[in-house]
Amino acid sequence: MLSISGLSVTYGPVHALTDVSLEVPRGEVTAVIGANGAGKSTLMRTLAGLVKPVAGTATLDGNSILGHKPEDVVRMGVALVPEGRSTVPELTVDENLRLGGMWRSKFERAGLNAEFYDMFPALAQRRNSRADTLSGGERQQLAIGRALMCDPQCLLLDEPSLGLAPLIVTQILELVNRLAVEVNIAVLLVEQNAVTALRVAHTGVVLNLGQVVMSGSAADIASHEELRHAYLGY
Amino acid sequence: MTQLIDYLLGGLGSGMIIALMALALVLTWRATRVVNFAQVGQAMFTTFVALTIQTLTGSWLVALVAAIIAGALLGVIVQYLVLRPVRRMDTSGAIIATFGVLIALQAAAGMIWGGDSQAYPQPFGNTALTVFGREWPVSAYDLVVVGFGVVLVVGLTLLFTRTDLGLAMRATAFNPEVARLSGVRVSRTLTIGWALAGIVGAVAGVLVAPTSAISPNSFDILLVFAFTAAVIGGLDSLVGAVSVGIFTGLVLSVVSGYSDSSNAPVVALFLLALNLALKPEGIFGHSKARAV
Repeated sequence: MLSISGLSVTYGPVHALTDVSLEVPRGEVTAVIGANGAGKSTLMRTLAGLVKPVAGTATLDGNSILGHKPEDVVRMGVALVPEGRSTVPELTVDENLRLGGMWRSKFERAGLNAEFYDMFPALAQRRNSRADTLSGGERQQLAIGRALMCDPQCLLLDEPSLGLAPLIVTQILELVNRLAVEVNIAVLLVEQNAVTALRVAHTGVVLNLGQVVMSGSAADIASHEELRHAYLGY
Repeated sequence: MTQLIDYLLGGLGSGMIIALMALALVLTWRATRVVNFAQVGQAMFTTFVALTIQTLTGSWLVALVAAIIAGALLGVIVQYLVLRPVRRMDTSGAIIATFGVLIALQAAAGMIWGGDSQAYPQPFGNTALTVFGREWPVSAYDLVVVGFGVVLVVGLTLLFTRTDLGLAMRATAFNPEVARLSGVRVSRTLTIGWALAGIVGAVAGVLVAPTSAISPNSFDILLVFAFTAAVIGGLDSLVGAVSVGIFTGLVLSVVSGYSDSSNAPVVALFLLALNLALKPEGIFGHSKARAV
């Protein structure tokens, strides 16, 4: 389980996150939703080690993940798929996957690699094509695959639906749900697309101007009309 | 016509030297987005180290190995001591810092080895080869130079395409954030890039020294040629640096042959200006704008 407590981040005088606390249990998808500038990406980047917080703790199964470099946070079992289909477009599909599992042993890698191609037969056929020849949805699958090659205990997904067609969004989010439930990973999903995110998530957290304004079961949040009007804009 | 062919062949060895030095510039550029103007200074310094070892041991090969080790170390030292602190500001600060390193290295070499030109021993004979009853403007030593160049280029290509380290270096060059998030130790990878560039530059220095001589400033003109080749080749491309480097060597040889060798730098700068006017991203370069 990923536990975040009292997390605060500032960019100079700007308070990006203030006293954020939330829990991400294994086997579940926890969705953080909120408008642009709510601090969602900052939360993800802080957990991955790219941004240093001014206060607070974050632990994975009891071990603190804050205060480490991103390359060490990955080794602790926390993998981030950043916003914007984070593959390396100049590398091939296979090289992107190799990159994700590079610090693991050859044996572990081979297993993870085979699992990934079983999951995405379309990508298996194009393993030697450059990533920039893939469609948007395929590239997002590959980005998630790159993170999965790290064999994470906790997967952080920043706006995986951004710029994808609705049908592809549904596919990607169903995949995310399957990963949480079947592989028993703790998944933290950040989405601007609240409706879709709350459909696959078990728990929802609403973030506004860097603060948690509500958390609860995804169904409760989706049906909370005032909240939707005030913070989610629909 | 025969004269033109002779001039072209005569440029092969110097073309390979330019290609190697351009390759060293491209390696640091790919790793850290910094044009390392100290590269020729590092090569000059390691060539003096090689000359000292050569004088002590009498072995050309031992001297070459010493230069390679010194080149890797010097690359790491320059990256670690100068580039890392300066980089926190911006890249233009880093480029100016590399000029500082160049001047410091030249001053240090002058203090240690003196400012006069010294001859570097010629290991394989510099006389023109005679094949098919005709004398060619190519010496055995030129063939050795070309051989070393080919081995280095093939070796680096294999490193980049076949090994994990090469993959980490390419991923770091294209997208350092995704590389870090994948667990690549990016700063270590960058340092290895500088060490590799130092090695390539050191080999180029030892190879060029016997054909000219060695003094603290003797490689300055090589910087002009190598920089030209690296930029025209696209700065990002190993293939570009090598092919344009060899091409530059051939052009300069022809120019020197038909007119005077003092015209070579002017022609190099003309090629550079032409390239920047017509195709600023270089012949083999990828354009800066990338689809996200």
